[in-house]
Amino acid sequence: MFAVSYCRSVLSVFLAVAATSISAYAELRAFPDEIALNRVGAIHGLLVQEVEGATILGVPSGVEFSSANLAVATVDALGRVTAVGDGETTIKATANGETVEAKVRVSGRTQSFQPSFRNHIQPVLYKMGCNTGACHGAAAGKNGFKLSLRGFDHDLDHRALTRQAKGRRVSLAEPEASLILLKPTMSIPHEGGERFEKDSEPYALIREWIIAGAPKAKEDDPRIERIAVYPPNVTLGAGVKQPLLVQAHYSDGTYADVTRWAKFSTTDESVVIVDDLGGVTVQGPGAAAISVWYSSRVNAAQVVVPRADAISPEVFAKAPRANFIDEHVLAQLSQLRIAPAAKASDAEFVRRAYLDATGVLPTSDESFAFVMDNRPDKQARLVDALLERPEFVDYWSYKWSDLLLVSSRNLPRREDLTAFNRFIRESVTANKPWDQFARDLLTATGSTQENGAANYFAMHKETIDLTETTSLAFLGMSITCARCHNHPLEKWTQDDYYGMANLFSQVKLKNGKNGGDIDVLADPFGNIPHPRLGVPVPPKPLDGEAIPLDQPGDRRETLVKWLTSSDNPYFTRAIVNRVWKNFMGRGLVEPVDDLRLTNPATNQPLFEALTADFVEKKFDVKQLIRTIMNSAAYQRSSQSADPNVADEKYYSAYIIRRLDAEVILDAYSAVTAVPTAFDGYPGGFRALQLPDSQVGSYFLTAFGRPEREQTCSCERTEDSSVAQALHIANGDTLNGKLRDANSMVSHLLAKGLDDKGALEDIYLRALGRFPSPGEMDKALPLLASAAVSPEERRLGFEDVAWAVLTSKEFLFNH
Amino acid sequence: MYRIDAQKPVHFCDGMTRRDFLHAGSLATLGLTLPSFMGLKKAGAVSKDMNCIFLFLVGGPSQLDTFDMKPDAPAEIRGPYKPIRTNSPDIQISEIFPNIAKQADKFSIIRTLHHKAAGVHDTGHQMMQTGRLFQNGMEHPHAGCVLGYLKGSRNGLPPHVVIPRPIGNTGGNMPHGQNAGFLGKTHDPFILNDEPQKPDFAVPDLLPPDYISASRLDRRRALRDMVDQSVAQLEKSADARLLDENFQQAYTLMSSPLAREAFDLKQEPEELRKAYGYNKFGHGCLLSRRLIERGVRFATVNMFETVFNEITWDIHGSAPFSPIECYTDLVGPMFDHAYSTLLEDLSQRGMLENTLVVAMGEFGRTPKINPAGGRDHWPQVWSILMAGGGIQGGRVVGRTDSIGAYPVERPVTPAEVVATVYHCLGIDIETELPGPGQRPIPVVDYGTKVIGELL
Repeated sequence: MFAVSYCRSVLSVFLAVAATSISAYAELRAFPDEIALNRVGAIHGLLVQEVEGATILGVPSGVEFSSANLAVATVDALGRVTAVGDGETTIKATANGETVEAKVRVSGRTQSFQPSFRNHIQPVLYKMGCNTGACHGAAAGKNGFKLSLRGFDHDLDHRALTRQAKGRRVSLAEPEASLILLKPTMSIPHEGGERFEKDSEPYALIREWIIAGAPKAKEDDPRIERIAVYPPNVTLGAGVKQPLLVQAHYSDGTYADVTRWAKFSTTDESVVIVDDLGGVTVQGPGAAAISVWYSSRVNAAQVVVPRADAISPEVFAKAPRANFIDEHVLAQLSQLRIAPAAKASDAEFVRRAYLDATGVLPTSDESFAFVMDNRPDKQARLVDALLERPEFVDYWSYKWSDLLLVSSRNLPRREDLTAFNRFIRESVTANKPWDQFARDLLTATGSTQENGAANYFAMHKETIDLTETTSLAFLGMSITCARCHNHPLEKWTQDDYYGMANLFSQVKLKNGKNGGDIDVLADPFGNIPHPRLGVPVPPKPLDGEAIPLDQPGDRRETLVKWLTSSDNPYFTRAIVNRVWKNFMGRGLVEPVDDLRLTNPATNQPLFEALTADFVEKKFDVKQLIRTIMNSAAYQRSSQSADPNVADEKYYSAYIIRRLDAEVILDAYSAVTAVPTAFDGYPGGFRALQLPDSQVGSYFLTAFGRPEREQTCSCERTEDSSVAQALHIANGDTLNGKLRDANSMVSHLLAKGLDDKGALEDIYLRALGRFPSPGEMDKALPLLASAAVSPEERRLGFEDVAWAVLTSKEFLFNH
Repeated sequence: MYRIDAQKPVHFCDGMTRRDFLHAGSLATLGLTLPSFMGLKKAGAVSKDMNCIFLFLVGGPSQLDTFDMKPDAPAEIRGPYKPIRTNSPDIQISEIFPNIAKQADKFSIIRTLHHKAAGVHDTGHQMMQTGRLFQNGMEHPHAGCVLGYLKGSRNGLPPHVVIPRPIGNTGGNMPHGQNAGFLGKTHDPFILNDEPQKPDFAVPDLLPPDYISASRLDRRRALRDMVDQSVAQLEKSADARLLDENFQQAYTLMSSPLAREAFDLKQEPEELRKAYGYNKFGHGCLLSRRLIERGVRFATVNMFETVFNEITWDIHGSAPFSPIECYTDLVGPMFDHAYSTLLEDLSQRGMLENTLVVAMGEFGRTPKINPAGGRDHWPQVWSILMAGGGIQGGRVVGRTDSIGAYPVERPVTPAEVVATVYHCLGIDIETELPGPGQRPIPVVDYGTKVIGELL
């Protein structure tokens, strides 16, 4: 019926180079195994994959297709099934002596096909690029012709096509003379170039729609509900190609093959790339997802490309499993053929556990006690003990203060800053469940000095700011795009955005009674108008139920109820991902505040299991930490099992990372025994105890302390830089501590230790280990040569301490 | 602290003078023999290599109020400013730039820059400095990092310096295209980290304090190397290796007399400092000239680091952004003084022929003034300036429609600007860089053209 030549040529390339069988035990499976076509002439693809157990492998070579009843459906050499007449038949596919069948059912012989504006024309305009931001979807349109971005506004687009430009865009009298057909085929000049040819399917669809009277989107049109992608997941070998198939499912129960109208993108170009028609080509080993976008619906196909070298299944079978995390991590490692690293040594584990859970180093006594502990469950005991330490409260309060932007820039009155800080610290101390924390914060009322949480609203006075900051902080996603148009990478529409915004629009601030404080209250008035509609839309959590505009009560209650509901996936994912990253060095989704369907997790089953467990444990953050820290995955060495594998994504080894700015500074204070002085704070205050990110410190700035200006994980820098190297080499932070009359260097000199003893002392304090014989041999002569006087001897130890404290071993968590 | 202008040699307890250290001590161990600036100059060796300065006008200047005036358009389009003549007969610019008007023979205007990505600051930052929009997890390198990667450092100075700090948050939560991207963090630019207009300006911690002698520095390095050999897996971590590379670069800088001298703005005449302007941007421009003169290949001066709560080119007209009046109160004069002085200064020193200067924002602004009296983001068209480094002055490339909304003649893409930058720097625009997985990636997409009208 339609000319589809461009589609065919690409498919044939794929099938020609498709992989030969990866495994000798594979059998064939058809995707989908059943096809229902509701009109004659409809075309639907059929993919045949090799399958081994639950693993879907690539497309076998030399597949032959045949139809059992040509009066019902035909099939071509590429597996493209065409409906011929009502009835049922089977399509048989044969390859390598194996056979598989798919059922085909055709109905609707008597119905004539009419392209619908909503379900056919808009997708064509999107795929051809007409309504993208670069062309007519731009805010101002293009050359007088404006469409809504990616076709989110059917009425506006229909009007633009049929009513504007004196009806020249769509000519009912002479369909072929419509600008919408002349321009994209370059029959007359078109700045956007040729988008399709005259004998193409887009041309035919638009023409038929015009012939049918160019009807607008109808209320009773079937609505798209979801899209399915085949194969949903696939394991491919090096250099292999794999076609994808995309089905749109509608509210009337029908579906259609829309592969050619979908848009595709890859999450990792070093693993797979994808072309415009869903053709996937393997680039290298790893796991990636192909995101598929069609008609505001998003889905993804997961692709696994194992490393070439086989690993004995025993390696994975024997690997320790402490809890469900390990099942999921090992399952993925086994798929990818990456061997897990060995268990970390006691000395490594105790250092890492202290740093990750509390941001402080263990003292040498603490390290020693852990190493000497012979109880089999000593790791779990250590984890439990760490969770009860006061430094745990400092560390996690600091983290949530980063998230909530606590700073004197945002809260200039010290009383407010202190009150907000107190709210956060009390919540962490009590291990307040995360849902309750969010509820207390987001429904806060009253004086900013009495109820610290109320400062959230004093800081974010604008409804827009509240809407977007809250989404970033608690949903881990940016919905900013939807302020002006439907979100291009997510399902959120502009209507969703303004519904959400109206949940915050009645928060009011007025001067409080305490002098200088602010009272936060929920007012019964105030709405933010939808910019396109000009009137406010009813308040509605992003994908929750709307409430009437005139419903009495605090609208924020509606928000919080939706937000913290156990079936809101976004809320739990956001916090689980943040906590996971703290311990595992990489979020399951990166960046941690970019959770969206088109940015899937590196290990989706693990992510789902973690969030389910978190909900089951009633949003208990400490319990989540316990689960992660007790996993074998967390307790692995940072040294890869295979030195040739550099995995920093799938948790086969502990991921090495630089310590945070505040942690390094506090560790310098602790090891040198010289606290850092912070302006306006009592002596001995640690960086991680500061309630304010504005407290001056060149060290903290140079090492990447976040400014706390906007909620964004990008604010904190973990990379080292030349400025950092210069500062620890020449600056006065570390040098000043080492030279201090009360520093650890003074102490060890006072103790009268010999060179060897002093060296050991420094190593134990800083690194939790003794110097190796090799290090001893190298270091002692360097010290002896300097020791012509007590002053010189001191400088020698200062230099040893400097070297230890600037080493990678010290500055990195490993 | 030791200063370059110290008259007397400083003695150390080991009998060495500071100068000894600088010239003999650690230099020998580094295998470096760094000449002084004057020595270089005498030998005629002050480089003839091509250099580049990016002046990034963060926020996005309004084309209609700067370099693409539409005096005949309705009031709500043409805005509050009038055009003035320049010393190039064919060029008129905004009255907010009286000094730049006297230098119009040295620069050319491209009036038809445009891009098709989302109209947020970050995308423009990426495209104008790397030639590409970041997609599919790929971060492309800044042109200065590419230059450094291809040509290495000169005279022991970092090849690419960002002044005073990289662009920070501008709302899009995306990278800003000011680092080395897939080339690796070793090739990231050197960040100044201080504000050059301050009386006590200095690169923080460039020199060892006087209580750390040369022999102690050597001992510290030896001890540090020793400790670092003990944990093998740290050598495999790219992040950990980066720290060592940063230490190496820091040591090179510390032992370079030229570096110290290059960053010492006190050596510049007061008159000149005033002409550039005692502000972050003015002095950033002055410093960029001084650095290029001494061996830095590429300087990127960020006029602002954010668009929030600061007066910038981002004139939405409402808080936390800037009002249109700031173009006459603050931002305009700042740019007028700094840019005109930079061109004049480079020209007088004979440096303009081999120093390309690109002054650019990330997008233009809406032709129609908004209800808040400002103008919003408009990537459909904007103007940038290019001068020196083989670019002919006094020309205009491209023409926009009657309201400065769209290109009507010769539209120019950010990639074409970056291609022209590479071309002027003597880099073949089909040069391939090692991308992720060693996939070759050309410096600009194949088929991108150099803007021939400027050459």
